[in-house]
Amino acid sequence: MSNKEKYIQVFINSFAVKEKDLVTLKYQGVGTWDSMGHMRMIAELEETFNVMIEMEDILDFNSYAKGIDIVKKYGIEL
Amino acid sequence: MASNFKLLAGKTAVITGCNRGIGKAILESYAVNGASVFACVRKESPAFLKLIQQLSEKNSVSIVPVYFDSRNHEELKLAVQKIKDSKQKVDVLVNNSGIGYNALFQMSPHDKLKDVFDVNFIAPFIFTQYLTKLMVRQKSGSIITISSTAALDANDGKSVYGASKAALICMTKVIASELKSFGIRANSIAPGMTDTDMLSCLPEELISKVRNQNGQNKIAKPSEIADAALFLASDLSTHITGQVIRVDGGVK
Repeated sequence: MSNKEKYIQVFINSFAVKEKDLVTLKYQGVGTWDSMGHMRMIAELEETFNVMIEMEDILDFNSYAKGIDIVKKYGIEL
Repeated sequence: MASNFKLLAGKTAVITGCNRGIGKAILESYAVNGASVFACVRKESPAFLKLIQQLSEKNSVSIVPVYFDSRNHEELKLAVQKIKDSKQKVDVLVNNSGIGYNALFQMSPHDKLKDVFDVNFIAPFIFTQYLTKLMVRQKSGSIITISSTAALDANDGKSVYGASKAALICMTKVIASELKSFGIRANSIAPGMTDTDMLSCLPEELISKVRNQNGQNKIAKPSEIADAALFLASDLSTHITGQVIRVDGGVK
């Protein structure tokens, strides 16, 4: 599985959304991406890519697209 | 506590500040009760290495030393990474490390105020933020913060220390509320005067006064605080969260 596929899978697992809806997905755009869902998704991303995401990035992580840029900062090719 | 049962068998605990005093007693209690432990201290010492080796061999448990200065947030982060890299579940976190301080309110310098809060509140706040991410993923965990009765009682000379420990209680109660849906519990222990090195920062007359006020006419042994920490870490307390347990012998 590529890193991009892993990234997508984290979103599908965390928020129970369809892959086709991910590109435009934003924080609080679906009921499952609330603050608790956000924490669960961050924990899942950290585990998947073995990184520790800084607090500033956790707060900036407000969309699927923005998350790609943030994960890349940690040396993960997406 | 003498016990034939291993209350923490199969669990992994992270304990900060466990080379002496209450933290050391908790480390000993957890090892005796079958827990694997990440034993966090500021720096390596022959006495500490000997302690964990003996405890590990005697109780057939893994005790991994983790070194960091809680004032140094980069070291703290690396310590979390080390724990995370082990791929072990973190079932229990005991935020024990702290520093004592005793001075009248109007004679408490600002740099000391900042330093006490850095060690007693900000470091455990950040450490817990990191480690709860592991607990969120595993959907379980027990967080225990070692506060103080100074956080609950308005004792002269304790404006700085007591406030830092009160902040810890507030943090613990909020964690208990925010993370309950992830199966994470959080409780505080508020020890009264305990026979540790921290007593050296208190005047002798105060120690005598507390001893005399105590119905048991004694100050606590560290192992008596560790007993409460054992209970909160174990499955005997699965329905207890957001609480503060005073362990003070009934001081009036």
